Amino acid sequence: MTVVKTTDLVKDYSLNGITVNALRGVSLSFEAGEFAAVAGPSGSGKSTFLHLVGCLDTATAGSVSIDGTDIASLSRKDLALLRRRSIGFIFQAYNLIPVLTALENVSLPLTLLGADREETLGRAERALADVGLEDMGSRRPKEMSGGQQQRVAIARALVKRPALILADEPTANLDSKTGKEILELMLALNRTAGTTFIFSTHDKMVMEYARRLVLLRDGLVESETIRESESPHKSATVAIVEGAVR
Amino acid sequence: MTATAFRDVANMAFRNLARHKVKTIITTLAVCISVALYIFVDAWILGMNLESRRNIVSYEIGAAKVQTEAYFAKKDDFPMYESFSGWEAIAKALAEAGYDSSPRFVFTGTLYSRSGTAPLMFNAVDVERDARLLRYEPYMESGRFPQAGKLEISVGTFAAEKLRVGIPNRPTREEFENELVSAAANEGDAEFVRSLYGPPPPSKKGAFDKKDPAALTMDASKLALKKDATKEELARLWGILADSGRMDVRISTTIDLKAAPESIRKEKLESDLLPSLKGEARERLLAAYKVDEITGDFTLVETDEAKIAAVLADMLAVDFSGAVRHVNQLIDAIVVGVVNSPNPKTNGNVAFMPLDSLQDEAGLMLEGRVTELLVRKVGADDSRLPGKDESAASIAAALAAELPGGKLPEGLAVRPWIDYSEDYVAASNGDKVSTRVMVLFLFILSFIGIANTMLMAILERTKETGMLRALGMTDGQVMLAYVIEAACIGAIGSVIGIILGCLINIPMVKYGIDYSAMSAAMEGDFGYRITAFFRSAWNPPAIVLTGVFATLLSAAAAVLPTLRALKMPVTDSLRFE
Repeated sequence: MTVVKTTDLVKDYSLNGITVNALRGVSLSFEAGEFAAVAGPSGSGKSTFLHLVGCLDTATAGSVSIDGTDIASLSRKDLALLRRRSIGFIFQAYNLIPVLTALENVSLPLTLLGADREETLGRAERALADVGLEDMGSRRPKEMSGGQQQRVAIARALVKRPALILADEPTANLDSKTGKEILELMLALNRTAGTTFIFSTHDKMVMEYARRLVLLRDGLVESETIRESESPHKSATVAIVEGAVR
Repeated sequence: MTATAFRDVANMAFRNLARHKVKTIITTLAVCISVALYIFVDAWILGMNLESRRNIVSYEIGAAKVQTEAYFAKKDDFPMYESFSGWEAIAKALAEAGYDSSPRFVFTGTLYSRSGTAPLMFNAVDVERDARLLRYEPYMESGRFPQAGKLEISVGTFAAEKLRVGIPNRPTREEFENELVSAAANEGDAEFVRSLYGPPPPSKKGAFDKKDPAALTMDASKLALKKDATKEELARLWGILADSGRMDVRISTTIDLKAAPESIRKEKLESDLLPSLKGEARERLLAAYKVDEITGDFTLVETDEAKIAAVLADMLAVDFSGAVRHVNQLIDAIVVGVVNSPNPKTNGNVAFMPLDSLQDEAGLMLEGRVTELLVRKVGADDSRLPGKDESAASIAAALAAELPGGKLPEGLAVRPWIDYSEDYVAASNGDKVSTRVMVLFLFILSFIGIANTMLMAILERTKETGMLRALGMTDGQVMLAYVIEAACIGAIGSVIGIILGCLINIPMVKYGIDYSAMSAAMEGDFGYRITAFFRSAWNPPAIVLTGVFATLLSAAAAVLPTLRALKMPVTDSLRFE
C-alpha cells in the first residue's frame, strides 16, 4: 500500500528577496513499512521535501497525497487533524515541550486524539518503555541527555501508531554511539510495528541503515538505491552517495 | 476538544506561568492593583452617594414634593407667585393615606445683620410638621429652633459666620473684645464671656486636623470657644449677645404677585402682548386698557373684578412678564439658632422661619399659600432610601384616592426627591464618569503589561508553538492555550486584588473618612450632602464584576500575539531561533 506519493513536487520560497527553488519536480512514492532515507547536501531540498510530506508547508506546484488523500484539498484544520492522526515527527532539535515531563510529552498526541486518561497513560508508559526510558517518565526535558530526549521524541512520534514517521536529521545532534542506538531502536520499531519511516539526513550511518536511499541534488532526484538484503548497504554505494553529499 | 485534552492544555498553560516567575508576578501585581483600587474607589463613591441620598431625603426634601407644575418648570428662579393654597386638605388626605407632610414657602432675599449681609434662601416652615418629617431640627449648633407664630429665624452655620450672628467658635482677638466682651451689660457678664474663650488648642495634624473644620483657617491670633462649655453656659452667652442686638436681623425680599398691571407702556403692549393674543382675549384686553392722554401708556380702566381676572388669565397664558408685580418688603426678625446638620444644604446660606409668622401684611401676605408640600411615609426608616410605597406615583395615587373627585387639584403634581437634587445628580454623575476614566486608564496600563508579557512569552515559544501545531493542535487549541495562560494572570491578579480591595474597604466601611475640612473649605456646597463623616459601602456585584472584567481583559491580551504566531507557517515556527 502506498503511504506517501508525490508528483512533480515543486517548492519555491523567497529568501531576502531572492527566489530559491528548493524542489524542482520530485516524484516519489513510499510504501507501507518502508525505512527510507532522503539524503543530499545542504540546500538540496531534503528538509523541504519532508515538510511538504508532513503537511507542515504547502507546495508551489505538484501534489502530495497521504494514504490516497491529496492534501491540497484540505483546510488548515483538516491538515492539523491529518497530522494529529497519521503523522509522527522526529526533529534534529527534539522539540519537546519543556514544561511537560517525559510522560506528559509522550501523552500529548493521544490526549489531542481524545483518548481517555487511563488508556493514554498506559500507552505512553509502554511507548517510553519501548525506547528504554521506563524510569524517566517524571523527568523534564532539561533533566535528560540529548539521546534521552530524542528517545522521548521517538516515543512521542510512535505512541499514536501513525502510518508515517518523518524524521528530520534525527541523529545530527547526537554522538555516533547514541546515534547508532537511536537508529537500531527505530529499525526495531519499523520491523515490529511496521511503521513507515522517512528520514532526511546527510549522516553516513543513517544511510547505511536505510533500506532505500534517495539522493536529492538541487531539488531533483539524482539517484535511488534499494537494498534487498537485511545487511547494511554495500559500503561502496554509501560511499558514492556520501561522496555526493560531502 | 475533550475534557481531558482541555485539562492538559490548561495544565500546560498553568505551568508556563511559572517559567518566568518574576515577570508573571509583576504582571499579576499590575492587575491586582487595578482591581483593588477600583473596588476601593467604587465602594467610596457608592458610600458617598448612599449617604448623600439618605441625607437629602432625611434633612432636605423627604421622599417627594407636592408642587405646582408651573413652579417646577421655573424652580431655579424660586417663583413664589406659582404657589398654591389649600394645602391643608391635601395634607389631611395624605395623613389618611399614611403619609406625613409639611408645607413650606420658599423665597429668596438678603439678610442684614448689624455687621454683615448675605443672600439667603428662606424656608418658611410649619415648625411642628417639619420637625416630624425631617431631621435637621435637632442639629442646632447653638441656640434653638424658631417657635411657631414668632418672627424668629435660624440660619445655617456658614451664613451665621458671614453675618456674624450666633456664637462665634473662633473669633479674632479684636472681634472678641469688640463684639463679645463689649456685648456684656456689666462686669460680671464680661467676666463670664471671657471665661468661655481661651487660646486655640495646638493643631497636631495640620490643615486636615480631625473633627475641627475651622482648623483649615486656624491661626494663633484667634481665640476658641471652650469645648466643655455647658448648655446652660451657652444659653446664657446667647442671651447676653442677643441683648446686645447681635441677633437682630432684617430680611429684604421681593413679594412677587400675579396681578393685572395698572399701566403698560404702549410699545410693550403693541409689540409684546397684543401680537400673542387672539380673538376674544384681544378684545378683552383692549376693552380693559385705554391709552392715557397724558402719559401715552395704556392704563387699566376696567373695574369689574371678574373681567380683570379674565384679562390676567389671558396675560399669564402667554407668559407676559408684566403680569407679575414685584413688591419690596422688609421684615425684622431675630436669630434664635444656628443649624449644622449632616446635610450641608441646611448649613449654608439658608434660613428657617415659622410659616405662620409670615401670613399677614407684616410678613409676605401669604394668606395660606405655600410653594410646596414635602411628603414622607409615616414612621419611615431614616437609614433607608424611599421605597416603592414612597415613589411619586404611589404617593400621587394614594393621595388622589383620598381626595374628593379622585384626583389631584388642577396644576399640582407629585415629584420625587431626585428631581429636586440636580446639583447632587450632576456631581455624582461627574464622579461616575471621572472614576470610570481613571479606572479605564489603570486597566489600560495593566492590559499593556499583560499584552507585553504574553507577546514576549509567545515569541519566545515560537518553536514550541510550531511543534504543538506539528503534533496536530488546531489553531483554536493553540489560541485556547495562550488565552488560558493570560486569563490565569488576570484571575490570580483579580483574586489577590479583590482580597486587597476588601481589606482596604473594611476600615473604610466601618470607620469612614472625616470630610469636614473639605466641606468647610467649600462652604458645604459641593453636590454631595456630606459634612463630616462618610463611610464606604460594600458593592458585591461590582467586586465580582471587576474580577471577571480584569480576567477577560487579560485573556483578550493574548489574542493578537497568538494570531500573529499562527500566521507564521509551521516550518518557519520550527526553524525559529
